[in-house]
Amino acid sequence: MAVIHDVMPAFELFQPASISDALTLLNRHGSNAWVMAGGLDSFDWLKDRIKRPSVVIDLSQVQALRGIKEQNGGLEIGAATTLTEVARHLVVRDKFRLLMEAAELVASPQIRHQGTIGGNVSQDTRCWYYRSGWTCYRAGGNICYADTPTAINREHAILDADRCVAVNPSDTAPALVALDAQMVIRSARGERIVNAEDYFIGPAVDITRMTVLAPGELLTAIRIPSTWAGAQFYFEKVRDRNVWDFPLLNVASAIKYSGQTIERIHLVINAAAARPLRLHAVEAAVVGKPRNEQTADLAGRIAVQGAQPLRHNGYKIPLMRNVVKRAIRGGGGGTWTS
Amino acid sequence: MAEHKLVGQNYTTPDLVAKVTGKAKYAEDFRAEGMIFAKLLLSPLPHARVTRLDLSAALAVPGVKAILTADDLPAAADAVNDNGQLILANLDGEVALTNEPVYQGQPILAVAAVDEVTAADAIEKIQIEFQPLPFVVDPLESLRPGGPNARTKGNYWNIPAPAPAAQGGGGGRGQNPPRPEIRGLKFTDAEFAEAKDGRLPVMREAPEKWSYGDLDAGFKNAALVLDETFVTPDTSHQTLETRTVMAYWQNSKVYVYTGTQSTAQTVLGVSRWVGVDPANVVVISEYTGGGFGSKITGAISLVIPVLLSKKANAPVMMRVSREEEHYIGRGRPGVRGRMKVGFSKEGRITALDMFSVSDNGPFERQGDCGNTGVISSLMYQPLAMRFRGISVLTNTPPRGPQSQPGGMQAAALMEPVIAKAARKLGIDQVAIRRINAPVGKASFGPPAGPKAVRQYVTSAFVQEALEKGAALFKWDERKARSGKRNGSKVRGVGVAVSTYSAGSVGYDGLFVIKPDGRLYVQSGIGNHGTASVSDCHRVSAELVGVPWEKCEVTWGNTAKNLPWTCNSGGSQTIHAMTRAAHAAGMDATKKLREIAAKDLGGRPEDYEVANERVFRKGGGAGMSLAKAAQRAIDLGGAYDGHELPKDINKFTRASATALAGQGLMGVGKDNYPHDGQSRSFVAGFAEVEIDVETGKFHILDYLAVADVGTVIHPRAVGGQILGRSMLGIGHAIGQKWVYDQHYGVALAKRFHHNRPPTILDAPARMQWATVDLPDPETPVGARGIGEPPVGAGCCAVLNAISDALGDDVFRRAPVTLDMILTALEAGRPTTEPLTAHI
Amino acid sequence: MDFVRWGQNPWGQNILTHVSWTLFWASLFAGLMFLVAHGSYMLLSAHRKRPSAETDRMEAAQPNLPKRIERHSLMARAFHWVMAAAMFVLLFTAFLPVVGVKFPWVTWHWIAGLVLTGSIVFHIVHASFWLDFWSIWVGPKDIPELKAEVLREMGQDVPGLKSGKYPLGNRLYHLAIMVAGLSAVATGMFMMTRVRTPLFTRNPYLFSDRTWGVTYVTHGVAGVGLVGLVIAHVYFAIRPEKWWITKSMIFGWITRRQYLEHHEPERWRVMTDRPTGRI
Repeated sequence: MAVIHDVMPAFELFQPASISDALTLLNRHGSNAWVMAGGLDSFDWLKDRIKRPSVVIDLSQVQALRGIKEQNGGLEIGAATTLTEVARHLVVRDKFRLLMEAAELVASPQIRHQGTIGGNVSQDTRCWYYRSGWTCYRAGGNICYADTPTAINREHAILDADRCVAVNPSDTAPALVALDAQMVIRSARGERIVNAEDYFIGPAVDITRMTVLAPGELLTAIRIPSTWAGAQFYFEKVRDRNVWDFPLLNVASAIKYSGQTIERIHLVINAAAARPLRLHAVEAAVVGKPRNEQTADLAGRIAVQGAQPLRHNGYKIPLMRNVVKRAIRGGGGGTWTS
Repeated sequence: MAEHKLVGQNYTTPDLVAKVTGKAKYAEDFRAEGMIFAKLLLSPLPHARVTRLDLSAALAVPGVKAILTADDLPAAADAVNDNGQLILANLDGEVALTNEPVYQGQPILAVAAVDEVTAADAIEKIQIEFQPLPFVVDPLESLRPGGPNARTKGNYWNIPAPAPAAQGGGGGRGQNPPRPEIRGLKFTDAEFAEAKDGRLPVMREAPEKWSYGDLDAGFKNAALVLDETFVTPDTSHQTLETRTVMAYWQNSKVYVYTGTQSTAQTVLGVSRWVGVDPANVVVISEYTGGGFGSKITGAISLVIPVLLSKKANAPVMMRVSREEEHYIGRGRPGVRGRMKVGFSKEGRITALDMFSVSDNGPFERQGDCGNTGVISSLMYQPLAMRFRGISVLTNTPPRGPQSQPGGMQAAALMEPVIAKAARKLGIDQVAIRRINAPVGKASFGPPAGPKAVRQYVTSAFVQEALEKGAALFKWDERKARSGKRNGSKVRGVGVAVSTYSAGSVGYDGLFVIKPDGRLYVQSGIGNHGTASVSDCHRVSAELVGVPWEKCEVTWGNTAKNLPWTCNSGGSQTIHAMTRAAHAAGMDATKKLREIAAKDLGGRPEDYEVANERVFRKGGGAGMSLAKAAQRAIDLGGAYDGHELPKDINKFTRASATALAGQGLMGVGKDNYPHDGQSRSFVAGFAEVEIDVETGKFHILDYLAVADVGTVIHPRAVGGQILGRSMLGIGHAIGQKWVYDQHYGVALAKRFHHNRPPTILDAPARMQWATVDLPDPETPVGARGIGEPPVGAGCCAVLNAISDALGDDVFRRAPVTLDMILTALEAGRPTTEPLTAHI
Repeated sequence: MDFVRWGQNPWGQNILTHVSWTLFWASLFAGLMFLVAHGSYMLLSAHRKRPSAETDRMEAAQPNLPKRIERHSLMARAFHWVMAAAMFVLLFTAFLPVVGVKFPWVTWHWIAGLVLTGSIVFHIVHASFWLDFWSIWVGPKDIPELKAEVLREMGQDVPGLKSGKYPLGNRLYHLAIMVAGLSAVATGMFMMTRVRTPLFTRNPYLFSDRTWGVTYVTHGVAGVGLVGLVIAHVYFAIRPEKWWITKSMIFGWITRRQYLEHHEPERWRVMTDRPTGRI
């Protein structure tokens, strides 16, 4: 069969208006159904004729999936809330600035207007081998084209790779993990709540999926507890271009102090592995220590332990060391003369 | 033209409102009765032979109208050029469809159907099998001893020496160029050994070579000799509008709707590719969404909808997708260069020994490789120089000229060496460029012709540009704070110079002043965003004293009687077509004076033309242009175009003949003297700020000062200077191709993969200026500006980075944060030094 | 039903990627069905045993036979159990994810694979030099025995020799598991160049895409085949009438009576020049 890209094939389009209708459709069509939110991941797959669902369920008409509600001192964000709406929400800005900063750094303004937070965290990896439609491990095959002696893998994983070396490209995901968010997942069988940290899965566990979402399931909302409201936050995204680029690495931290001492901390890095990684070892090492250069150095060094570079991504190790350092130390990264 | 009313003034171009309101129609916006759509089947392999092709299932898909394969294309034909030379067909040149693809993405066949989805579905039903053939996507890999060849016949173009003139031949001018042939060439093992140290091996006997001066003495007398390797990126042209085409036939005429840089000359391209008489070709190209050299006369792929339309007997629209554009949309050849440069202690270049290896892509030989030598010789005026080079065939998408082809690469190869030398010698960066700058009628390139004479430029005001730039940029002030750390940030400043061709001669101008008093200008210039489509004609309007509001420019449709016009490539247009416009304007002025003298008495010389009138000098009798136009019709003959100058092109003659009798015709060929080659120059200045903890850098400020002669349209010049500077900056900061070497396939094939700079990557502050010195060898004084800003933009940024971080950070472009970070960690450049497309 | 799965390489060529998991289910099903069928047959049919009187006679006739007869040396048993453990790890790490139990399995899988490989290498060397290499082999000469065994299993009283040290079924099973196991091990060793281990420099391009496809499918076919074989093996190991063999694989010996009841002393001579009764 000859291959052609860039022409979207025909499929049956459903635009349900309620969550229950969406779930009914999902249940009816099972793995033949493709769930689409903002379309920024979906359209690539569909246009390239690589994913060939017979049914597309477009969530854009489900009002119940949109909007941000205050809840027990925290927030419940509808999964189809756009990234612009998230970034502009006053409570997000006041209490959970980490998420605001992350959402504001996603792609470009146009993409943030269209892209949803649910889509941003659930998007597939951007590995250019995988997305070329070749049957690699992630596509059910038996090879990782990105981890060969000649592969171009500058953007790939330094941690937790297992056959597949793709990374999670989301900017909001590490912020949500740092904020102890909970993912509300519904299906015809009911509702389940998954911690953000457990929502993402690496290739060792399931090489063909990025999240625990199974066919028939829908991410309906993201809950942010009050736990970290008003904490000291740090978010930095390192990318090649200043807009419209996926992260080469990003880091999110939330810190609560007791005096000058770090009392609690969540530190998460993304684009280093196939899922956002909470750096538990770093967290454990810095708790109870003062926030200073020495602690930051220690954090940076611990963070990259076990990192394994590929042919072209060795820079991610010093980069990760340095951004983790900055996440502890604070400041420095985001401010430019321009 | 002592006092300018239009030249040098900003104005609203006639295409502006349509562009900003969305009314402008690009090729994709046209529709025709019964129009069907074409989609392409592209080769998935970098080099292969089609061994089985079964179209039956595709043809059986309801709605499929026709399938065009390589077998339907006309054979490559010989052609005769304007000089009467026979150009023998290149039998290994590019074809629009093929059964032996030589790059991944090369079109194999095209399916026309009632809509694109049907065409795509049909393509998926085609049974096709390929036999893989040896391939190579890295020129050095092909030159390696025992390395693979991209083409079955070899890996470079040999241009045989011209055969001795035939007996009784018509002299050198008519001598036919020999047919280029593909041959194979490899480094010797001894030569190639250097590659493992990250240095470009030097080929002793390269296909392209020339020299002048005493190289050995130059190196012997040098206070400093540097021997550097540098690699420049291959980049797509990334035009916003892809090379979409709609075409149909009416009787024997073919109508082609496409984007092109050069409306008039695209007729010849279509004629040659399709095999029809130019008289039967109509090109419609009102708006073109960018070309940068990739659409000089449209694109060869336009034959696909043209021939499909004939086969299916229906208009065919072929919309080219972004991924397809990556393959067929042209790219700049990446060049790896080895530069051995000798400097006197004052910084003067005493000797330059340059070896360039260019990635030619699979088809016709590109000039970029040779240009790296020619442009370096002009820009830095080395006292002695040797150039050697080879443009290596690879199984990567076809290359084409991209803004400053070879010149941009020359700057990128040389500027880092100059910057390093200045640091080593303790010379100011502006000063070292000033001391090496071309002045006046500066010589360049190889000695040529029977007398072994080198060419020279019409004028060069590089030193003036550097001085003006240094003052405007506050160079000394910024230099003082360069290299100072502020937290994790460090700043650096860079300057770079750059040059390229800026004009050709010999084209025609054509307009009519009608009895309504308005000036109707015929423009054969392409409308691809440079504004030259209307800018040039303001010279005519100014000469005949018509305000711009009363000028109507007709452009974008060769059925509308356009004059013979230059290609809009190589920054020729503003130079060539202001000369042509001047010639036509002078012709009209002469005719107006004659009519006035006839009607009002006296001699034509007693009259002058201004303010919509022709009148006696110093006041007195006169008549309006409207009236003069009516008188021209009454008088006929040359006045209204019934008699035409003998020397105009036949293309112009046909158009002028069609327009005859409508008013007073201004028509003429540019026969003005022109001593030297027109070249423009730019000095670029940049300041960057680098975060040494991430390697990320921002460009704080950028200034380009251009030596472009007289400025015709300041806003357009500014747009060109800054726009093309950004194109160059893209090469410095991230734009590139990425290929998987194992399969020879593209990994970066979408806009965001190739990372052209975004608006937020542009310098926070950008300024431009010109030296405002007219070129003495052209009546209007204007030279082109499209090209030279590219190299200046790229290299000012590169030099600013090395100014901040030192010489041991990068040896290739683009410079990305990973390169900076790992080099700072290791204390030396660590990125793979020579591998292509990483 | 597709037995293999196909994918596309970067050149758009169709390449084999894996065996279809339907084959796993088929093998699992076949293994279980055999178990049910055999179990039912054993329950419902009478099957022949050597009459105890005959065994009594033989026991009386050979008083010099030791009470305990070594069937599996310590080394042989160690090999068997190491191999069995490796095999279980391999099968569970390979197929639990297929049935939906997701966990990081690859490292366990290749480590177990190495253990299995090592134990097989040991076994081959051990069997070649220290055991009667050919005693486990199957050949054309076994056809009469095969016929006899089948008929005996069907309950008929067939005259003729009984089995040597390894009954024919045992030897046939060994042949099957040897083919499947060696296929899996050989392909698996090459497949290790595709995953990260401290042992190899990764080189996924060691073979052509097509050769790799065949390698993966072979590994898969061997793997799913092993599922059925292991089920059958475990089944027989826990069947009451075979329990004496299983015990011998644990303790190393069988009783004199078991020896005489199940084996043909002519074909398995325990009275050698070496001292007897050695365990």
